[in-house]
Order: sequence, then C-alpha cells, then structure tokens
Amino acid sequence: MPIVLISSSPHGSGGELAQNLAKKTGWPLYSRDQVVEKAHETGIKLSRLETSIIKSPVISENLAREKNLYLALVTKTICETAKNGNLVYYGRAGHLLSPGISGLLRVGLGSALEMRIEHAMKQLNLPQEKARDYLEKLDEDIKKWIHYVHREDSQNPLVYDLFLNLQHMSIENATAILYETALLQDFKFTVESQQKMDDKCLAANAKIHLADHIETSGMDLSVRAVNGVVTVTYMPRQEASADHISRALEELSGCRETICTMAETNILWIQESFDPKGKNFDQVTQLAKRWGAAVELLRLDSEGKDRSQIPVMIENQGGSLSLKTDTGGVEDDDADTGYDDKGLARTVEKLVALGRSAGGFPISGAGREVIDAVKDNNNYSLIVLGNLFLSKGNETSTRLTRELGLDLREKLKVPVIASGELHSRFLFGKTQAFKLLGFILTTVLIYWLVFTFQKPILNVLGGDLHSKFKWAASIGVALFVPVVAYVYSTVTGLVLKIIDID
Amino acid sequence: MEHLIVNFIHIDMSIAFQVVLLGFIGGVLSGFIGSGGAFFMTPGMMNLGVEGVVAVASNITHKFGKAMVGSHKHGEAGNVDKKLAIYVLGSAVVGIQVAVFINSLLFKGGTGHGASKGAGANLYISLVFALILSVVALSMLRDVLKNRGKGEDDSGPSRQIADALAKLNLPPMIHFKVADVTVSLWVILVVGIATGYLAGTIGVGGFIGVPAMIYVFGVPTAVAAGTELYLAMFMGAYGALSYAFQGFVDIRLTLLMYLGSLVGIYLGVYGVKVVNERYIRMVTSLIILLCVISRAIAIPMYLRQLGLIDMDPGLDVYFNNISKFFLFASGITGTLLILINVVRSYRQRRKIQKSIRVVNSSSTNVTLGVE
Repeated sequence: MPIVLISSSPHGSGGELAQNLAKKTGWPLYSRDQVVEKAHETGIKLSRLETSIIKSPVISENLAREKNLYLALVTKTICETAKNGNLVYYGRAGHLLSPGISGLLRVGLGSALEMRIEHAMKQLNLPQEKARDYLEKLDEDIKKWIHYVHREDSQNPLVYDLFLNLQHMSIENATAILYETALLQDFKFTVESQQKMDDKCLAANAKIHLADHIETSGMDLSVRAVNGVVTVTYMPRQEASADHISRALEELSGCRETICTMAETNILWIQESFDPKGKNFDQVTQLAKRWGAAVELLRLDSEGKDRSQIPVMIENQGGSLSLKTDTGGVEDDDADTGYDDKGLARTVEKLVALGRSAGGFPISGAGREVIDAVKDNNNYSLIVLGNLFLSKGNETSTRLTRELGLDLREKLKVPVIASGELHSRFLFGKTQAFKLLGFILTTVLIYWLVFTFQKPILNVLGGDLHSKFKWAASIGVALFVPVVAYVYSTVTGLVLKIIDID
Repeated sequence: MEHLIVNFIHIDMSIAFQVVLLGFIGGVLSGFIGSGGAFFMTPGMMNLGVEGVVAVASNITHKFGKAMVGSHKHGEAGNVDKKLAIYVLGSAVVGIQVAVFINSLLFKGGTGHGASKGAGANLYISLVFALILSVVALSMLRDVLKNRGKGEDDSGPSRQIADALAKLNLPPMIHFKVADVTVSLWVILVVGIATGYLAGTIGVGGFIGVPAMIYVFGVPTAVAAGTELYLAMFMGAYGALSYAFQGFVDIRLTLLMYLGSLVGIYLGVYGVKVVNERYIRMVTSLIILLCVISRAIAIPMYLRQLGLIDMDPGLDVYFNNISKFFLFASGITGTLLILINVVRSYRQRRKIQKSIRVVNSSSTNVTLGVE
C-alpha cells in the first residue's frame, strides 16, 4: 500500500516523474493543481491566503482559519484518493502533507534551474531573464508558504525519505528507483499508520463540516479525532453556538462519538503512563479549572513498544471508553485484550466527566513525532511533561525530558513545564502562603524606609550629595529598583493567584 | 508647587494617592493595550506639579524594574529573542541618547529669555507626545470605524508602511531563531532608533517597538511582547541610569507607581483575554486621544512660560486644571470600561464553571455541555 508524496518545484520534472510512476504502477495520480481547483470550488480563499503570505509576515485570524481549512481539504483528498491503498501525489510541499504518519514515502526532487527556466520560457512564452526572475521570485514565495503553512524549513533534509537529484538522472531511472523504494517494507502501511490516517481524515472531514455549517463556520474550534471519537473544543464566548457543533457533525461518517468541551485554552499533557487518581492528574485538572482550559493527553511511547500493538478505542456499555488491540479479525471472547494503554482511556474518561477533555492519543517516538502529531492543532497555552523515558534511568530520563521540552518550546513556541514544577509555578499552597507573607513584610519595610528617610535619599538622587557623587544615584537606582519590582510583583502575583486571576 | 529638594516635589497623602492611582490606571491600560501606560502616567505626574523631565525619568525607572520582572517571566516561557533584542537595542541606545540630550538641554538651558526652568522641556515633551499619539490614536480609530459593520474580524491596523518596510530585502539580512524571522539590518536600525527616541522622550517606546516587531518583522505576538520587555529592561536601565546620573529620578514616585501599576497590569492583561478585539481598539484609541487633548491644553501654558505668547499667568491654573480633568477623565473612564468587562467576564466564568454538566450519549452526539 504505497503512498508516494512528491515535492516538486514549479517547472521542474515532478509532474512528469509522478505521471511516469502512476503509468508504470497503475496507482492513482493526484496533483496540487487539482487540490487548488477543489479548494476554489469549496470556497476556500486560497489566492487571498497566498497573497497574504507573500505580502506580509503577519496573517490575520481569518486567513489562519482559511489555512487550516485548506490543510483539512488536502488531507481529506489524499485520504479519499488513497482509499484503495495507493497514491502518487505531486506538487508544492507535497512531502509535508499528512505529518506524523509513518509508511508514506516522502520524496524531494532537485532540478537544474536552467532546465526549469527553459521550461518556463516555453510554457509562459517569456524571455530568459524574465523567466529566471519569475522562478526565483516563485521559489522565494514557496519558501514563505512552506514556512507559514507547514511550519517547516524548506531546506530541512530530515523531512524527506528520499531526495533525487534529476540533474544527472533520467526520468525513467528516477521512476524505477521510486518504484523499487515504494515497495520496500518500510513504506508499507501498518494498521497503526492506517488508524492514524483514518483519524486524520475524520478530523479533516469534521473541520470541513464545521466550516460548511453556517452557525459554526466562524467559530474558533480545535478538532481532534482519535479512533473514531471526535473531540471539539470551543471558546466560552461561543457558548451559545455550542449546540450547533453536534448538529454540524451529525452526518459525519466514521464518527462514533463527538465530545465538545468548552475551553478558553488548551493544555497538552505528555506522559508515558497516566493515572486519574494520581497527584499529577489533580494538579493538571486544578490548573485547567483555573484557566478554563481543556486538557489533551499524549501518551508517549518513547521506545516504540506499541508499534506492534494496534490500539483501537472501543466503547463499553454505559458509554465509557477503552482501548483494544487489533486481533487481525479473530474475535477474542475475553474482555481483556491484553493491550495496556497505561491509563490513557481511564484518564480521558475522567477528564470528560470533569468537562476538561480535549481528547487523548498515543504515539511512538520522541521530539519529531510529538511535533508532527500536534503541530496542526497547536493552540496550547502550556505543555506539561510528566514521567517520560522511564526505562532510561533517572539522570538520562531527566536529560531527555529537558531536551524534549526545549525542542517543543522552540518548534511550537509554547511554554513547557515539568509536572513537578506545576504546583510551585501555578498553584497556591502552604509554601506560597509563607512566601506571600515574607514578601508582604519585605515590601512594607522597603516602603517604610523610603518614605521615612525621604530627605537623605533625595539628597543622593538630586540634592547636594548628588552633585558630589553622581554615580551613587545611578548605582542605587540600578540595584534598588529591580528588587522592589520583584518583591512587590511577587506579592501581587500571589494575591491575584488566590482569586484566580493570573 | 512646593519642592522638598531641588527638582523633587513634596508628596503628601493626596499626591501619593493620586500617583498610586495613576500607576494603577497606567498599569491597567498598559496590560490592556500591550504597551505604553506611560502616555497616561507621564502627563499625569506633570499635572500634579512634577517637572516633565522628572516625570519622564521616574517613569522610565519604573518601567525598568517592571520590564525586568516581565521579561524574566516571558523568558521562562521562551518568548524572548535575545539576538533580536540586542540588534534593536544597539540602535535604540542612539535614539535614547538623542532624547536624553535634547531633554536635558531644554531643561537646563531654557530659551535664554528668562523663561522658567523646565518649561522648554515640558513644551517639547508635550509636543512630541501630542504629535505621535495623535497619529497612533487616529489611525487606530479610523481602522475601527472603517471596518465597522463588515462582520469579519479582520480589521487589523493599517499596515501600508509596515508592509512596505517588511518587503525591503536590503542586505545584510539577519535570521532570528527564536522569533523565526529574517529581517534586513537597515529596517532594524530604523525601528530601533525610533523606539529608543520615543522611549527616551515620552517613555512610550513600546508603541512603536511591539507593532513594528509584529507587522514589520513578522515576529509572533507573544515573542514580540517578550522581546520588547527584554529590550525595555535595557532601555529602561540605560534611561534610568542616565537620568539618575543627571539627578532627575524621584524614587518615591517610582515606588508609588509600582503600588498601582503591578496590580493594574494583571487586570489589564486579563481584560484582553475576555474583551472583544474591536472594543479593545476603540477604548484604546479614545483613551489616547483624550490624553492628547489633555496635553495639548497644557501647551499654551508652557508657551507663555517661555515668553513665546502673551497670556495672563493667572490663567495657568485653569489650563492646568482642565488638562488634568481631561487626563483623569480619559484614564478613569477607560479603566472603568475595562474593569467592568473584566469583572463581568470573571463572574460569568465562575458561573459557567459551576454549571458545567456532563451529558452522556452514544454516537454522534455531544457528550458535554453547559447548563
């Protein structure tokens, strides 16, 4: 079941190569041009989005919505076209579509600029210099597009499985290489990747349904699908339209259940195993309640032990959720499937009961895989890293967790915190109460001293003493002011934390 | 106004309370608008009888400490691009130095016509203030009114200049990793000097710095705010130390401003989260416009003190009071509008949280709703 995604530059040989491969294999062929056409039919303002990305570095909220809708449409199209298991897709940034799914063959092509210029000259009837300028400008614009839409660097080699330099290779040979590579075991779809693909497709479909529905089209929604369960989070100000979400998704095929959670923001909680009765759960939910946030769970299998197991979310009697391992069609009478989801389903269920669930899903891998899995849905205010890399030993686990945190913070631009720091940073307890008392006393002392000894202090700052020791005023201000600001801001911060304004 | 020591006024309970109030209102506005706050506090202190240059110096000192705490918090969240801050800072220092030089010169020198000390600097600060903030407020108001009734929430501020600057790809181009943008060095220099000059003159550098980073450089909003605070920490430190060296920092005013501003800023930031975007711009532009009017009313007074116009000195008190009235009216009205919304949504949020219920249902139905 090979799905080949070819990223080709305009006026390169991507189209020819893709057509050759499709002809040789009989696999369906799809191009970005067809997606663009479909986008126009759907009413997505793609040209407005493209112009905006090129023109200005800042994109408005409306266009960001347009971007998400476009990505949903591409995902849906790929899923539907590849329904029989095979697909050859080519076009701008093709290799970056459907991130986080293994088993896809992502191909990059290098074509000589001279050859592209020649092609552009013929096709567009341009003189050589104009064709060169046109292509250089176009490449620059595509770079911006990739950066904004896919949050990737177009030069990053790690996003390709295969890069072919067509300057010294014929299209026929390149096709043969692609064909042989696509048949390798590494590029066969596993049940796990199929499940992820189905979920991506379901989430994409849900987004399109919600955009089509007049009452939900303008809402700021976050959508995720896991094993047929679609979780939608919406803002409190959209409370009145919340019922329309379920109505918009009523006809969504493949959707077993819809969970709608009202949230001002989202918290992503990453751990190897979850316990709804644990201390971390209490602290995360306490914070979520204060912030009015929904919590999304990501169970990270850093060693890839789960790759061979196929988790499928099933619905128990009473509507509760649990995970089940695929048995290859053989029914197991025993209710215990043997698959250990490390508390994920139970914790999601508890969060749903608390009205704080933004869904939960497992992934195998590390930093790159986590980023790929969440970057399309990146609307988090905080990422909490719990117990991770447990099999590596304490010190290594701490180091790897810290590195993962740095990676996530850099790529997703979201604050990352270890679960151990949650209480001291965001919650109020005994320690904070003592801290508050200490800082209040220090503040009072500082103000009392300054206003009791005004004259000598002002003398140093601008009086007779100042004219003799000018630097003393500068040094005094440099040392004193940050201390006052720190001490008093700690007092206000802690007091406002008590009344839930932070 | 009675002076305790050279440039520093006597502070009684009434003045102390008014400075705390100025700090609070400035804090709320600063948290709400995202930058500034000084546009209210600086003239507010001048209305209380504080010399313009002392008001600017004490305010920039207040900003220094506040920015240090704020940038530390943003730094922990990964919102500070230190490389970008250093580049902007390099050019901002030039702008600040120019501002400090002009202010000190006008304060000490007067006009040579026997004008009262400080009137030249007061006039200069008021004129720059009125000019820059009129442009900002009118542009903001025009955008709000222009997009009224369009239904789409796509009414961002006018970006013609920003877009033109953003398209300038004059080498050398510099890449900033945390902000994830590439910008021409020349554009950074222009923005830096303008930011520094305004910060040094009227204590309102963020009005240029934050929007420039967002709209010209393409920096994400959170990183722009964090980087601006990091930058403000250095600019504030530089401005504060320079003014302290010149003997203009009144630490009592700084401390009193903190009492109000550090509470106000939290409430202002909270307000942004809960108030509609168009409303934010409308309130902001009206507040700034009223502040500009307030400062413009004080200008004839400074002109008379400089001997540039002939006016009865007895009228000074009226000009000062009307100016004061406009300033406090704008700040208090703006702050009340923000606080009413903050309290309303705070109560609404608590109510919603208490009323969350779970509705269990099977396929394709909502599982959770709000009562």
